[in-house]
Amino acid sequence: MHLLEVENLTKRFGGLTAVKNVSFHIDEGEIVGLMGPNGAGKTTLFHVITGFLKADSGTVKLRGENILGLPPHKIVNKGIARTFQVVRPFRHLPTIANVLVALKSPRGSKKIEWIKTPERKALELLGDVGLSEMMMEPAETLPHGDLKRLEIARALGTEPELLLLDEPFAGLNPIETDLLTKSLRTIHLDGHTMLIVEHKLHALMKLAKRVLVLHYGEKIAEGDPEDIAKNKKVIEVYMGKVA
Amino acid sequence: MVTTYLTRAYRSFAIHVLDVPSRLLALLLFQPLLFLPMVLPTSASTNYLLSVLVFGSLSAIFAASWDLLVGRCGQMTLGHAIFFGLGSYVTTMAWVYLGWPIWATIPLAVLITTLASLFIGFPALRVKGPYLALISMALPLIATSLIFYFKDVTGGENGLPMPISGRFFPQMNVFDLRTGEYYLTLLLVAVSGIILYKIAISRTGMVFVSILDDELASKACGINVTKYKMMAFAISAAFASLSGAVYAHILTVASPFAMGTTRSFFVVIMTVFGGMGTIAGGIVGAYLIHFIDSYVLRVIVDVPVEWHPFIFIGIVVIFILKWPRGITRFVTDGLEDLAEEREIEERGAHIWKKYKRKKKSTPEG
Repeated sequence: MHLLEVENLTKRFGGLTAVKNVSFHIDEGEIVGLMGPNGAGKTTLFHVITGFLKADSGTVKLRGENILGLPPHKIVNKGIARTFQVVRPFRHLPTIANVLVALKSPRGSKKIEWIKTPERKALELLGDVGLSEMMMEPAETLPHGDLKRLEIARALGTEPELLLLDEPFAGLNPIETDLLTKSLRTIHLDGHTMLIVEHKLHALMKLAKRVLVLHYGEKIAEGDPEDIAKNKKVIEVYMGKVA
Repeated sequence: MVTTYLTRAYRSFAIHVLDVPSRLLALLLFQPLLFLPMVLPTSASTNYLLSVLVFGSLSAIFAASWDLLVGRCGQMTLGHAIFFGLGSYVTTMAWVYLGWPIWATIPLAVLITTLASLFIGFPALRVKGPYLALISMALPLIATSLIFYFKDVTGGENGLPMPISGRFFPQMNVFDLRTGEYYLTLLLVAVSGIILYKIAISRTGMVFVSILDDELASKACGINVTKYKMMAFAISAAFASLSGAVYAHILTVASPFAMGTTRSFFVVIMTVFGGMGTIAGGIVGAYLIHFIDSYVLRVIVDVPVEWHPFIFIGIVVIFILKWPRGITRFVTDGLEDLAEEREIEERGAHIWKKYKRKKKSTPEG
């Protein structure tokens, strides 16, 4: 059984079909990349899977159980956590409390080992993404790169089986990109499956073993990162047709 | 030694993380109030001052409860007086019609109002921001017209009066009565202030703040937002109705003016004045506004009552522009700056450098 199975998913906004008959699956322990030019429907696909938008047709199954149509917080408690493309920190709360909120969710609080306090667990999660020094700083004073990693720590607080990252590398400089790649590897080794939306192929190649390409809501290619980079259709979509 | 360090660390955690003044400060502010009736002579003017402070205490509970809902959870309600009024009506009706004693009617009022708040909150909290403010503003008006409609039971415009024996201390003379009520309400302020403070700094309180900051993100953290909003609403209603019930037994009447628009708006003035989001802010603001309204502007300088709203709106505008974080935070920020300076003196210049570096790294805007 696959961890996540998406079948014939369709989402329309009025006359525009943002996601058209998309099917794919993710197995446990994989890192899957999701690519596509602007407006390809990647973020919409994320919103539909995590319940922030309602799908028009299709199924989304987590370990064989249909989760489509559940409210977002219930889907999170089933084991799918996400980050946002534009960072959404709790800006009045300090960094550590941002993670503590996620640990207050039913799934997050259930998965804390008996020997640990939530505060200690939160500190560990911040350590995983390299933010433990900032734990008392208010989230609004953190730079953008740190906020991106804070979002990941917060998503990890709910102990997800599948982590959906929406453009984690957007707006990061090369050093921050390296830092984040490193933390994502650690997180992967801890046993989290990931689906990453990304424009930066370079960063994605280092992580993903399999890449899906969306264009105008349709899946046009799937396979190894190297093959995808050579795929004619994908190049056409990104660069335009050769005259 | 280790314990001292841990306590200090925890206290700094509480101040930084939860943005509320420390316990010591609260105690220092509380002490003068505690000894006031013993210091002042027994006279009519003292009695007046005490009655001002009694109503100040009731408003303090009310403002603190509003602050938990609005300043901490971000659910902007402008009709909080409905719970105040509901509490006073339920306790009076139970006293008059059922003949229950005071110690039973007040908990009954709190219980019934909390249940009613769940009924009101379930549909009302579906809407957000200004729409919630509008809907909640209508609630006390609806309740008032219902009270006018059921005149036979509620007494209509004149309210539902209780005989003198509906007071807290029916046998006492006027002076002792005021002192007794003063200490009773002060005790209630302390107890409900501590409870609201504990809720605000708990991890549930953190979830409230996360809803204030970003509802979508707290949903993405697996938080059942509706449940926590209802929780904040119910807690807030419970304390508001407690103050309303005590108010009814002090005035010995439950009147529709208890849930008037003035009360709903004055709580905004008090909390903004004291500092939104710090539970202490509502309490400090309530005492100060009551003191200015009923003592400074009446006894010390005689300003006609009609001018009071102008003065308060002026105060609030100045505070929003100049000190939007309120009086309590103004004081605690000042204390924190002092502490930082002392730490620099004690532990050398390198901390100062570190501090400067930290300041620099904050993003602009």
